[in-house]
Amino acid sequence: MPVYNAPLFQIDPKETRRYAGLMKAADFDEQKIEDACQDARLLASPKGIWQIYDYDCQTQEIKAKPPCIIQGTKIGAHLAGCDKVILLSATVGDEIEETVTKRFADGEYTSSVLLDAAATTAVEQLADGMEKAIKPKAAAQGYGMRWRFSPGYGDWPIEQQPELIRLAHAGEIGVSLSSSMMLIPRKSITAIIGLYKEENNGQDTTATEHDLHGCAACGKLDCPSRKTE
Amino acid sequence: MIHIFDGAMGTMLQAGGLKPGGCPELMNVENPDVVRNIHEAYINAGSTIIETNTFGASRLKLDHYQLADRTVELNTAAVKIAKEAAQGRAKVAGSMGPTGRFIKPLGDLDFEEAYDCFKEQAGALATAGADYLIIETCIDIQEMRAALLASKEAAPGTPVICQLSYSEDGRTVTGTDPQSAAIILSAMGADIIGVNCSLGPEQLVPVVKTLAENCDIPISVQPNAGMPYLENGQTVFPMGPEDFGTWAPKLLEAGATYLGGCCGTTPAHIKALATALKGLTEPARQPRSGKLWLASRSKSVCIDKDLPTRLIGERINPTGRKKLAAEIRDGSLLSVKKEAVNQVKAGASLLDVNMGVGGIDQTAAMKQAITEIAQLTDAPLAIDTSDASSLEAGLRAYPGRALINSVSAEDARIAEFLPLAKKYGAAILCLPITEDGVPKTAEARLEAIRTIITAAKAQGLHDGDFLLDALVMTVSADAKACREVLHTLELYRSELGYPSTMGLSNISFGLPNRPLINSTFFAMCLAAGLDAPIMNPYDTSMQNALMASAALLGHDPNGLSFSKNEANLSVPKKAAVAKETNLDTLAAIKQAVIDGEKDEIVELVIKAIQEGHESNEITEKALTAAMTDIGKDFGTGRMFLPQVLLSAETMRAAFNKLKELIPASSEATKGTVVMATVKGDVHDLGKNITGALLANSGFKLIDLGKDVDSADIVKSAIANNADIVGLCALMTTTMVQIDKVVAQLKEAGCPAKVMVGGAAVTQDYADAAGADAYASDGVKAVELAKELLGEK
Repeated sequence: MPVYNAPLFQIDPKETRRYAGLMKAADFDEQKIEDACQDARLLASPKGIWQIYDYDCQTQEIKAKPPCIIQGTKIGAHLAGCDKVILLSATVGDEIEETVTKRFADGEYTSSVLLDAAATTAVEQLADGMEKAIKPKAAAQGYGMRWRFSPGYGDWPIEQQPELIRLAHAGEIGVSLSSSMMLIPRKSITAIIGLYKEENNGQDTTATEHDLHGCAACGKLDCPSRKTE
Repeated sequence: MIHIFDGAMGTMLQAGGLKPGGCPELMNVENPDVVRNIHEAYINAGSTIIETNTFGASRLKLDHYQLADRTVELNTAAVKIAKEAAQGRAKVAGSMGPTGRFIKPLGDLDFEEAYDCFKEQAGALATAGADYLIIETCIDIQEMRAALLASKEAAPGTPVICQLSYSEDGRTVTGTDPQSAAIILSAMGADIIGVNCSLGPEQLVPVVKTLAENCDIPISVQPNAGMPYLENGQTVFPMGPEDFGTWAPKLLEAGATYLGGCCGTTPAHIKALATALKGLTEPARQPRSGKLWLASRSKSVCIDKDLPTRLIGERINPTGRKKLAAEIRDGSLLSVKKEAVNQVKAGASLLDVNMGVGGIDQTAAMKQAITEIAQLTDAPLAIDTSDASSLEAGLRAYPGRALINSVSAEDARIAEFLPLAKKYGAAILCLPITEDGVPKTAEARLEAIRTIITAAKAQGLHDGDFLLDALVMTVSADAKACREVLHTLELYRSELGYPSTMGLSNISFGLPNRPLINSTFFAMCLAAGLDAPIMNPYDTSMQNALMASAALLGHDPNGLSFSKNEANLSVPKKAAVAKETNLDTLAAIKQAVIDGEKDEIVELVIKAIQEGHESNEITEKALTAAMTDIGKDFGTGRMFLPQVLLSAETMRAAFNKLKELIPASSEATKGTVVMATVKGDVHDLGKNITGALLANSGFKLIDLGKDVDSADIVKSAIANNADIVGLCALMTTTMVQIDKVVAQLKEAGCPAKVMVGGAAVTQDYADAAGADAYASDGVKAVELAKELLGEK
């Protein structure tokens, strides 16, 4: 099922707060956050697509036509033990971004920044929704899923973005790249998910050996959006 | 009667020689004996219904093997094999699995393409002699609706079994709960509904129970033998036949009378199941009460006299609303979507959708509106139109059970709308209007309603499909209008017992103080038995009347909710924190900026000027001083970026007022900054934030935008005699542009200082590139800009 546009019945205000760097702000007006989440829901055109490929974790080769060798040791380690990979792309479209820009130009700085944070939350939620749809299909074949990983994380060079766009068929949902490897629309994602065979009655023994996940894996300790457990 | 299905087919085909990657359905013509043997094994194990080997034999699935043009052949062969194996000992169910794609707007498959695909397969299976059609393992209610409609169309006499797959959270992957599924599919005419795959029998007991409680048709269940795992490279299902069999009586007790197995089950599992069920009788199901239920993809709503009043939001209606009508005509649904979300927030349980704009394709507009609103909210929808083709477009597109607004007692409406209600499983809002117009008396309205109900029941609709409109006329034109409505409501309840609705505001037409009349009328109607008013949910006087009526009529026992609502308390619980009022005006301005009180600042600035403060003084002692404090608080982590921006907005409002009142003060004095996001980089929010903070701190800002060529930056810096050039680059791929701009500025002899920033940029990078300063954030940039120019 390669195209799945998971609906956004709500956008998580807590995550929006986090992306806006407000986690430690005690008295920020909750209404402003909620308004941003609602506006993002109205402006977003959620779209998602994925493809599945065989994968050789020794050579880090995705067996597509033509094949693709994934560069980077961290991503290599992350996909160790996987014999299939899913390449996915998701976007919330460009209308939301245009509104972010317009609001700032109109002097509505705060609502612009909050809408931007809500849009980030939305595209992450969209990808989560896609994973939720993929998971039972993978599980039915005895596969577990590693968490999703994107170019630019760790030492996976962002120059591999064109390959991700090609392998995920991201063009079909309107996601493309600028010459400097930026995703267009800006609120878009490309990612890889490794599929590993679950042994021992569903107990995944390999996942625990993997490096830290999400914020914990990032070196930017003073990031205002860093998750604190 | 208890029926026993068979178990898994795929694994048995593999054991029978199906190659990995091979098409299972091709075995129907290439290895029919293998398929026949599987059927016979299940019949010998006790199956009374066997499923054809056609799970993936739809055109869209067979296309993966370049076998699409053999769809009819493979389905026909499958039924033939099954019938040969059964020899009258078991019935044959034609299996239809999902297409493997999601229907728009969830996916890229058009509803009609899915419909045609299922219609072809259902037609082939039925023509070949299948006793049932079974649509199974669906995870999308919309795909199930397409398949069910197609089956009913292609094989009118053949019973259809509809089985969805639910995840561990009790919903399908696309969010449908078993209650909504039961309501939607039974209303559409499914003959048997059920569940198969993804979970084991234990997890499916509650799903079966919920299905049984929400419809009157038989329930089917085909669990997996637990969740699979891999052992020595082989997929293993953990639950053995004996264990599997012990769950059968529990599934029967929960309400399932069609039982079988899915992935991981074998003839041994089916034998254990059949043995465990031997001698048991099916439990008596509680007949349902005939209540009116509506459902969206993921939520069901009941309208009933014993339940709280349900508001039907009326705002998605362009009648008399020029702006909304113009927007719809231009093809924009933004306001429609806003109304959807806001009405639900304001307490609407259902949303009425009317796209009655002249001069547009209303059928297309209705389809689009229903599709988009259903993606945005889980409140069930009422399709409000007098046009049959718009109605059908809306009903077809809606992944739920909708309400049709409305069916009158006029011949054309009855003839056109009732068959659509039956086909799509919609409920109908009955309007007591006859060919002669609106009946004056309550008794005559009741008669008109009876006409509609009789015709509807003849079409196959049931109790639970009706919502009755009491029809409100204008009291200024007819003194009895209110009394007749109240009497109508009473008659509806005592004579028919179906729930009631009405649009209320017509009552006050032509009178002054309409809100008072409307809310008073509303309270009267609620007492007389109104269940689901169609109204504006933002109207506070109506909401207050509803809240008070709920307390009085016992919907809000002992007025508990009423007592908790702060609006009703004479002394608010949270006394407003008194603001410091003894501040002098300049201090108040400073505080307002720090607090981001944009609404207060303009008046404070006016007051300061009236008190004789110079514009300079206001800027320095109040505004700039505030910014300094904000910078400190931001630096120490007491204040965060959105709060700083709120302060910047407040500053901006203050500066704008100052400029307006004292034009001479518009001169920015601190220096000129040329800013840009570098070539190749399209991220500009960070640059914009920094620019806004600089501009509101007394700098003259020239913002060149994003993706700006180095030559243009240099040109602008020279032309504007810039004091500072600010460069932003977010990514490692674009950071190198900084080096280029710095070099070109030097080459051109531009004396401006260079300040850089952006996510990937660091102090080290800035130093290496020859920049004069690195700003980690916008607040820091303002501080550095002041320092840089102080040095000059």
